[in-house]
Amino acid sequence: MPEFQLKDSVITSLNAQEPWPDNVKLFQPYEVEQILLPDNASCLAVQAFLKMCNLPFEVEMRWNAEFMSPSGRVPFIKCGAFVVSELEPIVQFAANKGVSLCGRLSTEEKAEMRAYMSLITNVLVNAELYISWLDDDTYNAVTKVRNSSVYPWPLGWLQTRSKRNAVAKRLKALHWQEKTLEQVLSDVEQCCNSLSQRLGDRDYFFGTPTELDALVFGHVFTIITTRLPCRKLAETVRRHETLVSLAKRIDEQYFKRP
Amino acid sequence: MGTVYAKAEPGESEVGGGLFEFEEPIELDEEPIPKPTVKLGGVRARVDRVHVDGLNRTKDDIIKSTVDDLFHATDFEDVILRAHKVRRALDSMGCFRDIGVYIDVSSGPGATPEGLEVTFQVKELSRIVGGVNTTVSENEGNLVVGVKMPNVLGRGERVQAEYSMGYRSSSNFSIAATKPYPHKPLVPVVSATVYQQNHEYPWSGYRLLDRGLLLDLAFRTSPATKHNLQWEGLVRDTSVLSKTTSFRVRESSGPQMKSLVRHIVSVDRRDEPIFPSRGVFVQFSSELAGLGGGVAHLKTELAAQASLPLTDTLSVQASGAAGVLHDVFGSELADRLYLGGPASLRGFAQRGVGPQHDRLATGGLAYWAAALHLWAPLPFVPPRAGLGGLFRSHLFLNAGCLAAPEGGAAAWQALGEARAAAGGGVALRLGRVARLELNYCVPLRALPADRAAPGLQFGVAAHFL
Repeated sequence: MPEFQLKDSVITSLNAQEPWPDNVKLFQPYEVEQILLPDNASCLAVQAFLKMCNLPFEVEMRWNAEFMSPSGRVPFIKCGAFVVSELEPIVQFAANKGVSLCGRLSTEEKAEMRAYMSLITNVLVNAELYISWLDDDTYNAVTKVRNSSVYPWPLGWLQTRSKRNAVAKRLKALHWQEKTLEQVLSDVEQCCNSLSQRLGDRDYFFGTPTELDALVFGHVFTIITTRLPCRKLAETVRRHETLVSLAKRIDEQYFKRP
Repeated sequence: MGTVYAKAEPGESEVGGGLFEFEEPIELDEEPIPKPTVKLGGVRARVDRVHVDGLNRTKDDIIKSTVDDLFHATDFEDVILRAHKVRRALDSMGCFRDIGVYIDVSSGPGATPEGLEVTFQVKELSRIVGGVNTTVSENEGNLVVGVKMPNVLGRGERVQAEYSMGYRSSSNFSIAATKPYPHKPLVPVVSATVYQQNHEYPWSGYRLLDRGLLLDLAFRTSPATKHNLQWEGLVRDTSVLSKTTSFRVRESSGPQMKSLVRHIVSVDRRDEPIFPSRGVFVQFSSELAGLGGGVAHLKTELAAQASLPLTDTLSVQASGAAGVLHDVFGSELADRLYLGGPASLRGFAQRGVGPQHDRLATGGLAYWAAALHLWAPLPFVPPRAGLGGLFRSHLFLNAGCLAAPEGGAAAWQALGEARAAAGGGVALRLGRVARLELNYCVPLRALPADRAAPGLQFGVAAHFL
């Protein structure tokens, strides 16, 4: 359940001036048996961002990470007394501590970056939600099993059903529910097109790694590496080789330690 | 043996009466048993007929077996006593109001020389009774809408629904169906309840949303001994109250399913439940969770109370409570034991004793508490009459400890760190179920982590330490 209180956010920004502590923990659902495609993408994006910033953190997996999170979405970090969830607030939180990846970008570039980030949340995230919860094959074979894996019967069934309703309601409000799979895939295709056009043949979108790279990595890497009954989403994304190679590059550089 | 005439005057049903009359029916205990000035014990008498007037939908068989007792009377005094008992039994069925008893010599064909006729004049409760009221609890005000259907199937069955809405968008509801078996051995009562409950615990920083089903079998093995066997299955959703709530509390959020069996036995030999002056009350409850669901534990709690009159108006009361929780897996904050507050350990804030995390109570695994009271009527007010009967004043000394011990010798040491408080105040009786206390408390011994509450403390509860 989201809780936003003015007092809380004022306290957060006042106290956030201290340097980044060593005992920061990132909370997310169980990777092997529980996590779903959209959650995995955002967890990976946050991890990539923190690694790009060279901020130390430890990953902790909890079955109830989603419910522990102040916004109801994963991942979230615990930094001293603060809990901050999702990529953008975490980016803001790090910036308050003087750590930022886009410090040398001009105002226009920053605005452009924001635009691409919201393109991703508006298209890729919704497409992931659509595939996971509204595509019957994926829902029955993967989402249902994984989402209810941490609950005893019949709580798993109840939880999965209520979450499916919540996701359907959200997609309906965004006019995604009535789309066909083909329409969803063509939206994804367009989104990937504009991303790969912006990327061109550079290593990163703005020369050096930014949170946009982290976000693209999170989604692209998760989509191409997650095995689902519906392979069309992965195939669509895989056609954009520059994005795939960006994801592989970030994976090599930040996640593969000898 | 005589004859029972039930359903004497049909058409006497009343509509719409009893609205807002949500309480249990008439209190009969106050009524003194008629004391004969003439010695009635020797007057031979037998009951020829019993009439029950005003029956409409109540089934005959249940009335017959209730009044059957009257036919065994041998003298007049016996008839009166048994008639009184039958009246009480009819009342406890919860189907009638205004029960009148008339005894007359029998006449007409078949009348015997010592024969009597007993007539019970009853009014059935209407088919559906509703009520709207407001309540104020510690955290919020509620609007409660209730509907009760007494005597649905004609044998004392009851269906009761209640919906309450708080201004903080919390909504609670419960639907309960009850079926008594007044003539079976052990007088069992079976009931089933479906409920949804929303409750905030600001002392611990969490909010619970419980949805569940409770099946209950109540029976008595002696007039004073009551047993409840229960099965409860519930899904509870824990969430934190604010963004700055301690992480220890945050960790326990999320939905959990719990399935448990519970046995409660209580022995009540007090002269009255709210302000007892003599007698003993003991209640022992044990709860085994883990038959399915994600929470497994064994929880036992004991509460005892003994009162002894010193003089006509003064009485002394000793009470004690103890509880142990043995966690197997999955027990979270809501399952743990807490101590402190106006109804438990006075002189401390609600849940103010024992393990705390960022000033939020996180509960313990074992506790004990004891209290000693000296009860007296209000000074300068006649103790029994009018208002004086509603109030008592008392001096108290209470002590207790809550701990989350690791086991072994450390456990005993942790439970030895007693907290104590003393004080005095006034108590007001609220009906026959609850009382209200206003006390001035002086904490005598507290640990630095405890939240002591010196000064005035106010509490409402059904059961006090």
